[in-house]
Amino acid sequence: MAIIEMDDLIKNGLDRALELMAVAAHNSFRFGNRNTMKMVSLGNEELEEIAEFCLSMADMSPLAARDGRFVMELIKEPNGFLLFGDKRKSDFNYDCGACGFRTCAELNKADEVESLTAIGPSCQFKNINLNIAANAAASMAWRLGLHCRVFGTLAMAARALEIIDADITASVSVSVANVDPYFDRHKFWTKDYWDEIFKKEFPTFGRGFIGAIEDDD
Amino acid sequence: MSLERSLKQFEDDRKEAVRIAARLLLASGTTSPRVGGVGECTTHILDDACDIEDLCQQMEKMSEEKKAWGFFKRDAMMLRDADAVLIVTSLRSLTDPSDINCNMCGRLTCDYLREEEKLPNEPGVAFTGPLCIFRANNIAYAIDGIVSMARNLGIDYGVFWSVGAAAMRMKILPKATGFSLGVAISVTEKSPFRDIPLKYDEINQRTMNDRIIQRLWPQFRSIYS
Repeated sequence: MAIIEMDDLIKNGLDRALELMAVAAHNSFRFGNRNTMKMVSLGNEELEEIAEFCLSMADMSPLAARDGRFVMELIKEPNGFLLFGDKRKSDFNYDCGACGFRTCAELNKADEVESLTAIGPSCQFKNINLNIAANAAASMAWRLGLHCRVFGTLAMAARALEIIDADITASVSVSVANVDPYFDRHKFWTKDYWDEIFKKEFPTFGRGFIGAIEDDD
Repeated sequence: MSLERSLKQFEDDRKEAVRIAARLLLASGTTSPRVGGVGECTTHILDDACDIEDLCQQMEKMSEEKKAWGFFKRDAMMLRDADAVLIVTSLRSLTDPSDINCNMCGRLTCDYLREEEKLPNEPGVAFTGPLCIFRANNIAYAIDGIVSMARNLGIDYGVFWSVGAAAMRMKILPKATGFSLGVAISVTEKSPFRDIPLKYDEINQRTMNDRIIQRLWPQFRSIYS
């Protein structure tokens, strides 16, 4: 019997896993019984492009930059990335009001507002269907024992780079790295930066009794 | 003929299974991903038939408000066959935008969204948008967490937005709720959420029963006895 090396097993398994995740997402529950969602799998080349874009956003969004630094590390080990997108207009005719317009027709007629992250205003139920699909993929990844995280930032960056023709996006990243790379990502922030931000956001944390300012220098 | 003891036991156990399953589904929905890793969803279980009936009546009332909501009646009839209902809420989508300026709501920045006037809470409005869509999307993950567990447990489920809208109108959810959706579950041999006749709000097991047994039998009995 032919021997298949571990690296090949892992790589082939990851490919199968991505396909199964795609099937789970494709067949997930959706309102209105419609499947208008688009889905693509991205490789390391596209992810590197996304990471560079995220890094270029550092001034505007420290979170995007963190995820950019993270992706640069992530692609060093076998990983997969599913990107989901959909158009923003409603074809449900629910007239629910969640988007701020009384009827779906009003939403569909409203002026389009473009930005790097998404095109709005978008139908709440389109968003729900899209994110249910993302969770179905994540749920399959979880069952298959993959490291997994759902990413908004990377999906938005992919849209800005026109990797997918969509108004709203979501994404699921999976990995078979030796250590789960998705959580406790402290190494992507320096200690000084973290301390500075914490002090800015929670200025009263270091204060003593009834707000007296303690000299901590 | 009265029910046999073993059959009564089966009915009791079936109901107990629903109670346990509903709580497991709540667990799965609660631990599903949240956008930005920020929690803001709650799940509420209705497993009392009277509570579910109240909800159904509210849905039927709302079905009269708008032509587009005519299907609420049908949903209500399906819900009457459900053993329990889980309602998932988003507590920050109405009042606390996520501050990431994602533009999914079409207002470019979260500050613009804060300034925007909300739809009034009046008949014909289910959710008083514009909501923070980024936040409300969390419900999608919670719902699929519930659905995923229901499938693992082999429990029949149906997802209804009419349930969330009616529960909000009844004010049985937390005050800050901006958006909510419902999942009905059933532990029965035939899913009450599939194979639904077109006029299900008029023609269903309950109304058939009412017409045939409740209406014809008393008449038949009084004539032929």
